[in-house]
Amino acid sequence: MTRYFARRSSIAVALACAAGTLHAASEADIDKSFFPYKSAVPTAAGVTAGTVINKGNFANFEAVLDPGLQRHIQAGAVEITVGKTTSFDIDKSYVDATRENAGKVKLGAKPGELVGYVAGRPFPEEPDAKDPRAGEKLAWNFRYGMNWGDGLAISPFYWKYRNMDSGKVERNILFNFHFIKYTHRLNQVPTPEISPNPSKLYRATYVNVQEPQDVKNTQLLIQRYEDDLKQDDAYLYLGFQRRVRRLSTGQTTDAFLGSDIMIEDFEGYNGRISDMNWKYKGTVNMLMPFYHHNDMKLSDEYKESDGYKYVAFGGQGGCFPDITWQLRKVHIVESSPVDPNHPVSRRVHYMDAQTSAMSQTLVYDRKGDLWKIFMLGMTHPDSHLAQNKGSGIVLFDAFSMIDVQAKHCTTGQFKGRADAKMVPVNLFSVQNMRGGS
Amino acid sequence: MKAAGDFSRPKLTVLAAALSLAVGGLAQAADENLPDLGGGAAPWVADVYYENHTVRRHDAGLAKFRNTLQVEADKPMGDGWAFRSILRGSWDGVYRLNRDEYGRRAGGSIELENTAAPLLPPVPTSAGTPLNRPRVPHGGGINNPIGTAIGLPPTNAFGFDLAANPNDGMRVLGDRWHQTEGGVAFGVPVRPCDTDKRGCRDFGGYGDLKLGELEAPEFNDRLDFLREIYAKKTFPFADGTELFVKLGRQQVVWGRTDLFRVLDVINPIDYSRNNIYDELQDIRIPMWIAQGEYRMGASDAMQDRNVQVVWNFDKFRPNNLGQCGSPNVILDAGCFFRGMASLWDNGGTVANFAAVPPGTAGAWAATDFGPHQIGIRKVHLPEWSLSNTQLGVKYEGITKEGLAFSLNALTYRSQLPSLHAFSAGTVNPFTGGSGNTTPPAAGVPVSRLIAFDVHYPRVNLLGGSLDFQIPDANAAIRMETALTEGEEFANTARRDLYSSNRVLRAVVGVDRPTFIPFISKTRATLISAQLFWQHIFDHEQHDGPLGKVGMVDWEDNFIGTLLIKGFLAGDRVSPQVIMARDFRAKALTVAPQIEWSVTDDFKVTLGANFKYANGNNHYKFDDTRSANPYPPFTTYTASGQSFVPGSAGLSGIEPLGRFRAGPIGAAVAEDDIYVTVRYKF
Repeated sequence: MTRYFARRSSIAVALACAAGTLHAASEADIDKSFFPYKSAVPTAAGVTAGTVINKGNFANFEAVLDPGLQRHIQAGAVEITVGKTTSFDIDKSYVDATRENAGKVKLGAKPGELVGYVAGRPFPEEPDAKDPRAGEKLAWNFRYGMNWGDGLAISPFYWKYRNMDSGKVERNILFNFHFIKYTHRLNQVPTPEISPNPSKLYRATYVNVQEPQDVKNTQLLIQRYEDDLKQDDAYLYLGFQRRVRRLSTGQTTDAFLGSDIMIEDFEGYNGRISDMNWKYKGTVNMLMPFYHHNDMKLSDEYKESDGYKYVAFGGQGGCFPDITWQLRKVHIVESSPVDPNHPVSRRVHYMDAQTSAMSQTLVYDRKGDLWKIFMLGMTHPDSHLAQNKGSGIVLFDAFSMIDVQAKHCTTGQFKGRADAKMVPVNLFSVQNMRGGS
Repeated sequence: MKAAGDFSRPKLTVLAAALSLAVGGLAQAADENLPDLGGGAAPWVADVYYENHTVRRHDAGLAKFRNTLQVEADKPMGDGWAFRSILRGSWDGVYRLNRDEYGRRAGGSIELENTAAPLLPPVPTSAGTPLNRPRVPHGGGINNPIGTAIGLPPTNAFGFDLAANPNDGMRVLGDRWHQTEGGVAFGVPVRPCDTDKRGCRDFGGYGDLKLGELEAPEFNDRLDFLREIYAKKTFPFADGTELFVKLGRQQVVWGRTDLFRVLDVINPIDYSRNNIYDELQDIRIPMWIAQGEYRMGASDAMQDRNVQVVWNFDKFRPNNLGQCGSPNVILDAGCFFRGMASLWDNGGTVANFAAVPPGTAGAWAATDFGPHQIGIRKVHLPEWSLSNTQLGVKYEGITKEGLAFSLNALTYRSQLPSLHAFSAGTVNPFTGGSGNTTPPAAGVPVSRLIAFDVHYPRVNLLGGSLDFQIPDANAAIRMETALTEGEEFANTARRDLYSSNRVLRAVVGVDRPTFIPFISKTRATLISAQLFWQHIFDHEQHDGPLGKVGMVDWEDNFIGTLLIKGFLAGDRVSPQVIMARDFRAKALTVAPQIEWSVTDDFKVTLGANFKYANGNNHYKFDDTRSANPYPPFTTYTASGQSFVPGSAGLSGIEPLGRFRAGPIGAAVAEDDIYVTVRYKF
């Protein structure tokens, strides 16, 4: 009996140490984290730029395809073209901050607690399969990633609800999305934070619906707190009511405006770290929707005064972005909700190792069956709008959320703009939503 | 006049406007007070909508065939100014398609109760019918000869000119929602005012409308087709704060609750459009308002701070309660008003009025009053003056803990009419003179006479609202409250038949998205419940020998609402049901509806609203028949009443029962089914 307790205690101490130990990432760790392709790009048999993977040859590429994409290629729903793997270098300020603060960050005692974080990538070292909290660390890397930078707008942002079988576009929605970070800011003034910030907000997302008529001028404001244990605040302005309504947080797992995506699905995962159990499942080389926007086949459907064109969609039902896919280093992370009543049983995230972007995610329903596949196309900022060139901000550029059970998808086409003028802090206030109504 | 729960219920809709008015109207407004609208590189952005709203009402048939064109136009004007306008024009075909119910042929001849018939002689009346019929026609009550015959002075002024006030084009007061049941009633002209002028009074946008004005309500002298037209700009300051300015005709929405107007009282409401069943944004009456909002942003203690000043400098407008004879007459008030105004102007027969035998409660004879004896004489609409403008201040903030709240103060004019009884200038029907001249009451001042002028008193409001979420319950909570001073209520215990009372209103609402698998496994169904409470301070009511006397409104009243709204097929199909229960009125409405967005630009809505009430005895209240303004003629001596004015409490549903029935109970016979189609060009 004594020996049993002694063993349990030692395990507990070991776990606590693993969580709380300050692991000083080396320069080599940081270089490897941010510049994984400096010396060589990943390779796989037959995977070369220009290779087309389709129903006829998919079996040769199973090792580099996630199960969701593989399923659709196998079914002939889509064929994909391999692109050349390129480095998506992240803004120098973020890399520098990672170096400056390396070794100062550690996990707290509970999921959702982080100690000593200032800026940059919290855990740049390679994930360790033996570390029981490695998945959680990757989740923190995602949360404090440089995606969208300190502030960025997607304006306009076109969504389509599509029937995958018939290809019919059932609904079009035109949005503007705006993001801002209040803390850990690096590349837009003010740095390192916006103050005063008494609520200790970390980030806010403001959404404005332009079309169609029945949801026109609907606005959504989500405020996320620095304290991950604190629930997000969310407000909804309904144009036809001219009133701001407080949302309960449960609505983040609701089909957003009837689409196939829930608020919690945004960006791969848009929730609290503490709401999930995180597991690191390994690191692989996989085909990921990373590309250079200006080199893609672009759509002429929407006309922009500056000549910007959006990524086109094709494949079955028009549910797949017409892009090239890069073979990239990917961390596989699984998240499963703490709440047993959550509509999702687990998500498998394919996190790009260089950028920490969750650009492929598989969503499983409560029964454990595959429910949805999320593809988030990422473009290099230097191959996009001139204003994004050199920003070091990896841009979300196209998404598709496919409900494989309902044979339905929602697609999105972005015009991302790394323009601080489009994300003034006053935009992210409840009062702004009222607009004087 | 107040009804517990002045509320409106949601229904997605937008309506009318004339496209041709867009550019010209906007440019004209720009000349006066706005920067150049034609300048700047940014183009106009305009959306144009057409909507048809067709309603079939139980018993009445077609109750709405409203066609609306609406233009929403925006334009950045340079220098940070932005311009927005909403132009709306409607044409309702119901007045032509169902003219027997609502148009030029509406109404007809009427008969009124005469419970004293068995006790009355078969003497002929002005209508040519005998007095002793249990139901007599308009003009078939006690008139001058009959009055003289039963012992009144020969100079008595009972009776009226049937040629000038014929028994045609009328309905019986309240017949839309109740029987007379021994109470009072009278004929109400119901045809448009260009067909029948009787009882037409401008109550501030309704009550004196011609057919064309009823059909196309936006095209009036207040230019209501300019539904909204304003310019706005945000002035940033170096310290990060901002001043937001918005000038023009606009809606200003306060508060956090749906349906109930506790703080949302800056703009009056047009209930004539679709009673309580349109979205408030479509039935608020926009006013010319200047508002400034100082947005201070965060501080060390607050995440957000704003101070808003709202100056409503428009000429006063009350709520539009609907003209009698049109489909939507909330509380049936417009019919009471028109009938009373006609009584003042022309006289008329009042059912069950004169006690038979005199001084004794038990049976009452229909009575023909002459002009200037009872009724509504004049509507005192506040003229424009600086002192008649309305001013509000709001502080809105969010604490660092995330509690959003507002503190509100507003001084405004009551949007509901208040009826003040008067006596000077009235004719004593018993003597034909004025005042009390008959012993033993000679010289006793006349009071409690059912002759009224209409006023809109000033009201001062203090209130606040807040919202927060309860994560463990997955619910958001909304609260709103207001304390007003200056509102006036019918009060039969007072000599002028009204009193001014402070009122506290409060609403608590709970919104909870809930997954209901049989509706949708992926889209939450919204369940939203609210409870409204109204408390009248210094509520006055006491027992008279024949019934309760005092204030008809409940001292405390509660209304509960429940919304269940589902979303299907990518939110393109949305079924919902709304229920509202007025607890003291014992009235319930159930309103199912389903919306179908056929395409992004075309939507069809099918719906209905059904009303239920559990009897109406609890609506009966002192109807002032026993108010005894003219002792000894009106004195219920058998009930111990003395020869001074004061009510004994004799009760009926009319005229005050409507305030107890509320908007649901008073519309209990108006079950509607409707279809709305809406297209965006």
